[in-house]
Amino acid sequence: MKKRYWRCFVCNDIHCGIAPPELCPTCKVLNGYVEISAEEARRILGGGPGVSLTADEFRAAIERFTAGHEFQVNPDREKVDLLVKGIFENERNHGLKYCPCRLRCKDWDEDLGIVCPCNFTIHETYKGVPDGECWCGLFVRRK
Amino acid sequence: MANLFMFHGRECPHCKRMMPLVEKLEQETGVRFDKREVWHEEKNADLMRSYRPIIAAKCGGQLKVPAFLNPDANDAVCGEMDYEKLKDWALKQS
Ligand code: SF4
Repeated sequence: MKKRYWRCFVCNDIHCGIAPPELCPTCKVLNGYVEISAEEARRILGGGPGVSLTADEFRAAIERFTAGHEFQVNPDREKVDLLVKGIFENERNHGLKYCPCRLRCKDWDEDLGIVCPCNFTIHETYKGVPDGECWCGLFVRRK
Repeated sequence: MANLFMFHGRECPHCKRMMPLVEKLEQETGVRFDKREVWHEEKNADLMRSYRPIIAAKCGGQLKVPAFLNPDANDAVCGEMDYEKLKDWALKQS
């Protein structure tokens, strides 16, 4: 099913998905999302808060992301440094935080599957593997 | 001698780990890999993409690096491996 865009009529949060959230995560209004065009979504997001994310902020973001999960950021600092460098180089040179250990195939939808963090829980290096890790080793199963 | 490629990424830890093993293998056996960095050299990236059917078939459907490729034999292997496994694969190609 194709994803579409939705806007909260109270707080203007934008959602992209096959269906809108029932509860707006920002203003908590129920059933507040109305469908909008891609162009409207782009305009609203384009005029939104100019949030940048430094490499250190990205590290903090992925630490927060792993909290409460069965995986964690790899304690191997040197490996993480190299990967974060690659992720940021890829964003600068190719537009998104593409995985440094795979190459994009230049199909937009398919390449979204290798934006970091990707859904590594289905990788053969992670799923069902006791000391599993994402393909690059940025995330490892929590001991 | 077989025409072998190694596609690698500058910031990929697997590639970093494999590079000295590849160099050792080249020295010990005379096997040569044409080494192509793919995230900073678009021509190399395009070359790797052109071999997608062979690489993806052997590497979980994706263009993973490092990828070791013999285009003439439609054979490839990806990721970190020990020296003996890499050597077996490379010698099998010649
Ligand atoms: S394999 Fe790891 S480093 Fe690569 S995109 Fe997925 S989560 Fe990020």
